[in-house]
Amino acid sequence: MTTAEDRSESLRMIRDSAAGIAPRTSDLKRIRALRFTEPGFDRSVWREMCEMGWLGLLVPEDNGGSGLGVQEFCALTEELGASLIPEPLIAGALAARLLPPDQLAEVLSGERIVLPAWQEKPLSLDLAAGGTVFTNGTVTGKKIFIPMAAGADAFLITVPGGCALVERQAAGVHLDCQTTQDGGNQGTLTLENAPAMFIAGDVSDAFETSIMATSAYLLGAMDRVFGMTMDYLKTREQFGRKIGSFQALQHRSADLKIQVSLARATVNAAAKTQDDSTDPATRKAAVSRAKARASDAASVVTRGCIQLHGGIGYTDAADPGLFLRKMMVLAPAYGSAALHRARFRDLAPAGDED
Amino acid sequence: MAQDLDSLPDDAFRLVVREWVEANYPPDIRNPLKRLHWDECKSWYFLLAEKGWLCPGWPKDYGGMGLSPGKQLIMLDEFERHGCARTIDQGVLMVGPLLIAHGTEEQKAFFLPKVLTGEHVWCQGYSEPNAGSDLASLRTVAERDGDEYVINGQKIWTSMAMDANWIYVLARTDRKAKKQEGIGFFLVPMNMPGITVRPLLTLDLNEEFAETFFDDVRVPASALVGLPNKGWSMAKALLGFERIFVGSPKQSAYALARLRDLAERMGVADDPDFQAVAMRHQQDVDDLTDLYEVYVEQVRQGEVPGPDVSMLKVYQTELYQRITETMLEVAGEHSGMLEPMEGNRALNPAGLFLQSRPSTIYSGTNEIQRNILSKNVLELPG
Repeated sequence: MTTAEDRSESLRMIRDSAAGIAPRTSDLKRIRALRFTEPGFDRSVWREMCEMGWLGLLVPEDNGGSGLGVQEFCALTEELGASLIPEPLIAGALAARLLPPDQLAEVLSGERIVLPAWQEKPLSLDLAAGGTVFTNGTVTGKKIFIPMAAGADAFLITVPGGCALVERQAAGVHLDCQTTQDGGNQGTLTLENAPAMFIAGDVSDAFETSIMATSAYLLGAMDRVFGMTMDYLKTREQFGRKIGSFQALQHRSADLKIQVSLARATVNAAAKTQDDSTDPATRKAAVSRAKARASDAASVVTRGCIQLHGGIGYTDAADPGLFLRKMMVLAPAYGSAALHRARFRDLAPAGDED
Repeated sequence: MAQDLDSLPDDAFRLVVREWVEANYPPDIRNPLKRLHWDECKSWYFLLAEKGWLCPGWPKDYGGMGLSPGKQLIMLDEFERHGCARTIDQGVLMVGPLLIAHGTEEQKAFFLPKVLTGEHVWCQGYSEPNAGSDLASLRTVAERDGDEYVINGQKIWTSMAMDANWIYVLARTDRKAKKQEGIGFFLVPMNMPGITVRPLLTLDLNEEFAETFFDDVRVPASALVGLPNKGWSMAKALLGFERIFVGSPKQSAYALARLRDLAERMGVADDPDFQAVAMRHQQDVDDLTDLYEVYVEQVRQGEVPGPDVSMLKVYQTELYQRITETMLEVAGEHSGMLEPMEGNRALNPAGLFLQSRPSTIYSGTNEIQRNILSKNVLELPG
């Protein structure tokens, strides 16, 4: 994976492979049917995704993965976002990167779902805030906002110095799931001397990739709903004209297009920085700028698309609402725009980056 | 009772309303999260009816309070202040005033008392899938056949149609006339053969609205109010009051109060960044209140506000939305949750955010309101 041509070929292949499960033309029926069910996604689709090698995209080839880069993973999650795929690939891939090789086979095949649990406070990016600790082969503490926790077989808990792998059914594990606006769920995990396996290592690099992948997912979602809305403006008629011919709506649309384009440029550049740069501060600053833009732009674009649809946009039967509600869950996930702007301020070199 | 109220100074009147509401309003339906169905809000409807306060704008002869528009606004203000639920009020707000102005003696004698008792619960059949902003292009037809009209078509956004037993309908009576001039206003029982109601789930998963289908629905000629070609102008004249009320700062003020609750709960109430944003919202609400007061004063003086009243609707609804967007930022991950935080209805950032979305769409989209402002107020060319 050295030349630019190789890279663009690899990204094209990833997007093509995504189209098998998440075609941009899909009617979102599967997504609607899975809303407000448990676990909120389909294990057979999860297995298919694993067979495509998506879960191990960033896992080294020696460990059974594909050894690809952040750009490939973001190209994939952008496609997933365009189809609002509920299967927790971003979370699952984070766990897969942190598990030792001997734990990976079942996970990469999709037989066993391990999801990460890192967060202890709202609006925080602290991976081990100190409230959850591993001692004497057990883990004790509390983790919150665990995406799609209802579907996990085991959890990978971040603790000081690494992670602790805990079985969902183990003694001392209590999981409470809350329904999210998109029809999925998030878990609160309470651990009391739960038997666990400690895995030493630095979580932060894999975590940064999850933030990037979430930004790309939001990009795919906003791009798709924007496209749908432009189609609507070209077909819906009022006052004897296509509503897209009204300048008020044209200008609104142009403003949304600018947001989508900013998000795309920023997310792509940040993904490239992850693959090209070795400086941690540079990499993190790029991630934060991408997530801040993606979260804010997704909010502006999904809200704007509801408005451009008018009354029908306020029905559950219309698709723009699905995108708005997904935004409500993912804009704050892995750090809100405000949180990432603050982190960017702390990381970015003083003055102009040039 | 009502006689005394009418002659009271505004401040004293406000106090009377406030005290009665605080003493009598059913606490279990205060500040509801969603629009209430008839079963949930009828206790409040009956309470108002029993007190004689159900129809503040109707003349006393018809069982109303005969209040001046200024005093009606004070009442609404106090109801909102206390967090009173909206009842299913189309009979009170629309059918009553319309019949009082244009109905026959028979229509008034039959319908008005049944609104007052709650025997008739009304819904509105105006919008259609292809007639929203361009309502006058509606396609539902009412064809004269002897002593009857035959209605065919489809209505959308029929609020609370599943609870209503009557619907008032705008339908085309003359397909050849200019589009505003061939429309009649009809009163139709919901149990007529040929009427089908299909609930329409909103973005916030509430069944407040429905689609209502008319398939060869036969009504007597007496179902028509006024002249067969005057439905549009009659309906339009009814909207005057609504245009002011959608600009009331109460909705934004309520959201701002909830934003402060949320900031307290999230531990950022004393954060300077939050305070700066909250202060901007507060001043926006205060300034809007001053502008609203200008129009309330016009109403108090018996004037009918002009097209410039659209300013209130645009500014209020967009401020309301901005405040709920700040709520999402403050709530962080909680803004993705389906239920209010800790089951506390005051901590419901996602719910308020979603509820605020249609405010820039209903009662004339903000794009339409801006057109009115630029054409009819600013008199810009084009």
